Amino acid sequence: MEKVSLAVPLKYRKKKRFPILAALFLVPSVLSFVVFKYVPMLYAIVMSLFDFSIMNPPGPFVGLSNFIHLFKSSLFQTALYNTFVIALLSLVMTFWIPILQAMLLIDIRRGNTLFRFLYLLPAAVPSIAAVLIWKWLYNPDYGLLNAILERIGLPAVGWLNDPAIAKFSLVLPGVLGGGLAVLIYYSALQGVSREIVESSTIDGAGPWRRMISIYLPGLKFIIGIQFIQFLATAFLAFDNIYVMTGGGPANSTNVMSLMVYNSAFKQNQFGMAGAISFIIFAIVAIITLIQIKVSNKE
Amino acid sequence: MWRKKAISMGLIAIMSVMAACGSTGDNKPAESAGGNATAPVKTNSPGETDKQVTITVWDKSPDDDVFKSVLDEIYAEFDATHPHIKVNHVASPPGTSVNEVFMTANAGGEGPDAFQNASFPDIRDWVKAGVAYDLSPYWNDYADKDQYLPSAMEQATIDGKVYGVPADMYLMGLMYRKDLYREAGLDPNSPPKDWEEFAEVSQKLTNTDKKQYGYALLGMDWADWFFEYYVWQAGGDLTTKNEDGTITLDFTKEPTVTALQYWHDLKWKYKVVQSNVAQNFDDNKQDFFQKRAAMMLGSSDMFGDFASNGVSLDDVGFSSLPVGPSGKAPSQVGGRYWIINPKSDKEKQDAAWEYIVYMNSKEVHDKLNTFRLDNGIMPNLLSPRKDVNPLEFTSNVPQDLVANVQKAAGDTQLEYALKSRLSPYIVPAIQKVLLTEKVDIAAELKDAEEKAQREVVGPYNAEIGK
Repeated sequence: MEKVSLAVPLKYRKKKRFPILAALFLVPSVLSFVVFKYVPMLYAIVMSLFDFSIMNPPGPFVGLSNFIHLFKSSLFQTALYNTFVIALLSLVMTFWIPILQAMLLIDIRRGNTLFRFLYLLPAAVPSIAAVLIWKWLYNPDYGLLNAILERIGLPAVGWLNDPAIAKFSLVLPGVLGGGLAVLIYYSALQGVSREIVESSTIDGAGPWRRMISIYLPGLKFIIGIQFIQFLATAFLAFDNIYVMTGGGPANSTNVMSLMVYNSAFKQNQFGMAGAISFIIFAIVAIITLIQIKVSNKE
Repeated sequence: MWRKKAISMGLIAIMSVMAACGSTGDNKPAESAGGNATAPVKTNSPGETDKQVTITVWDKSPDDDVFKSVLDEIYAEFDATHPHIKVNHVASPPGTSVNEVFMTANAGGEGPDAFQNASFPDIRDWVKAGVAYDLSPYWNDYADKDQYLPSAMEQATIDGKVYGVPADMYLMGLMYRKDLYREAGLDPNSPPKDWEEFAEVSQKLTNTDKKQYGYALLGMDWADWFFEYYVWQAGGDLTTKNEDGTITLDFTKEPTVTALQYWHDLKWKYKVVQSNVAQNFDDNKQDFFQKRAAMMLGSSDMFGDFASNGVSLDDVGFSSLPVGPSGKAPSQVGGRYWIINPKSDKEKQDAAWEYIVYMNSKEVHDKLNTFRLDNGIMPNLLSPRKDVNPLEFTSNVPQDLVANVQKAAGDTQLEYALKSRLSPYIVPAIQKVLLTEKVDIAAELKDAEEKAQREVVGPYNAEIGK
């Protein structure tokens, strides 16, 4: 009988060795991550089970009553609805813009650097400043948008004070696209073989065909990642809504993240705020899992 | 790998919100922690007593504050007369609201030992949240306790216990631009006396060609703040506090419906308010400063804002609110209380009380008012102390302003009970009525009342019943 050696070949043994040095370098970041991300998250979940007292934490245990109260609350139902509508509007109106911009950018040879710079520049503007600028643009009496409408003979629009269009107005600034997302997609597109692009052009594929058959499949992976990031951002949107509308008018833009803030810092109901946070977490986690399942199947 | 990364990204995103609203504070009492976390470790210098107590107070004025010199002088006098107390003056941390900053600090065990910014409407919620110490033992022995106006003490007295000492107070009234009155051919010394006259005057002050409107209505998420005055003027209130402590909602009562109808008329019938009725209070103020709005509601301590925005006090009028169908127009009284941290140890609480007594003394009030007079700064025309008379320090202020503030102080009222929890129900109804020309006002209020009763007042009253 032939002897079988149980010794692991050297090349495999090397691979199994624990990378101590790398782990040491990672320790500070992992620790910070746990302390500043996971601990608050778990603490928020604990808070949601109490009538939380900030001076004598955790306060009386109330079990799931914060959640039960929330699901019965008309304010929460409105906020839940508004959150989904705004996220959906953002998806339809803005998610594809940077993809399109990147695909157009990749075909521009002359002035490419300038365009990339111009797309990236707005990312350097503090988001709150951009929101304030848009708030001024939307002013029904003195804002630029209504001035333009008036100039071309159209009636003034109550951008932020009409409950019917306030959600749309919140999402509209995103239609300009740009920012870091364009560069991420652009970088991914650079991985697409130029030979394939050029040979398809020679074979008669126009810009539309190249976009559908070559560029988009090349971006599939990065679009998946960006989609998750996008959804999380849409569900957690706070700054722009807080500054532009404060959740009004008539609760038409009151979203869950705003409700977290109001419950905690206007009504001092920290347990309730923890419960809403957990619900947002659960929603984003479920959508993310579905997205990953779908991606894996494909 | 991809799956793990994706889940992690989802987690990271949501945790940001949780971290924002969550509390990580290990809120230990100061005594167990060896003193308040914000207080520095005491290092005695030669000559200091051995038992010096260090307290932290959020009252450090910024370098560009005009009051800095006089405040530093006042602080130095306290240090000299109270060698056993060292006050660590700290600037209030930045944030979007006092409530947010203060609650966050307390959650992290970083709350100040004494704090002078507990607003009149908020103090009940703060007591419930456990961030305001029961000052009754101090108050009962306080030599100056009878010097405070009963209206200033009302909000801080809960179930017979005193939780705050009034630091300052204001009352609300109608502010109007005299220069725009003159331009419209109106008498600048004769502001409107009732709702009807107010609507007429507002129409005369509205000039769409100049993008000027008569009255800056407050329809933002604080809309109930000013709307309640109109309910008072109509003879009612938004809630009734019953003798047993329970609350009855009055959203559907006649005065509330009448008041909301009047607001609707100002917008749609008389067309005298701004297009964006949901704009915030600061935008209203800017419109008033820049002569876009001719009238707005404002507080008696707001006059200082005019000078800093280039508006002469000679161009500003202040009057009592116009009366409504009830023939009355009470002014709302607001202000701020000094409170003490319940988590501070006893020595610090005693020291904090000494500091509050000193800072609230007639001598300090008079010193600040003298500084204002000497430097041409408008004083707050209302004092919570009976023995402090701001009128003695008003030689540089138009006397009609002074007289009208005093007149408005003759009839005052506090804000409605359970305001912070009922606002999210009444405000959307107000906004919907303001933003919709053809609307069933009674139906909107009924809907708001039903929801508020089911989700807030019902459970609140049940809790009281226990």
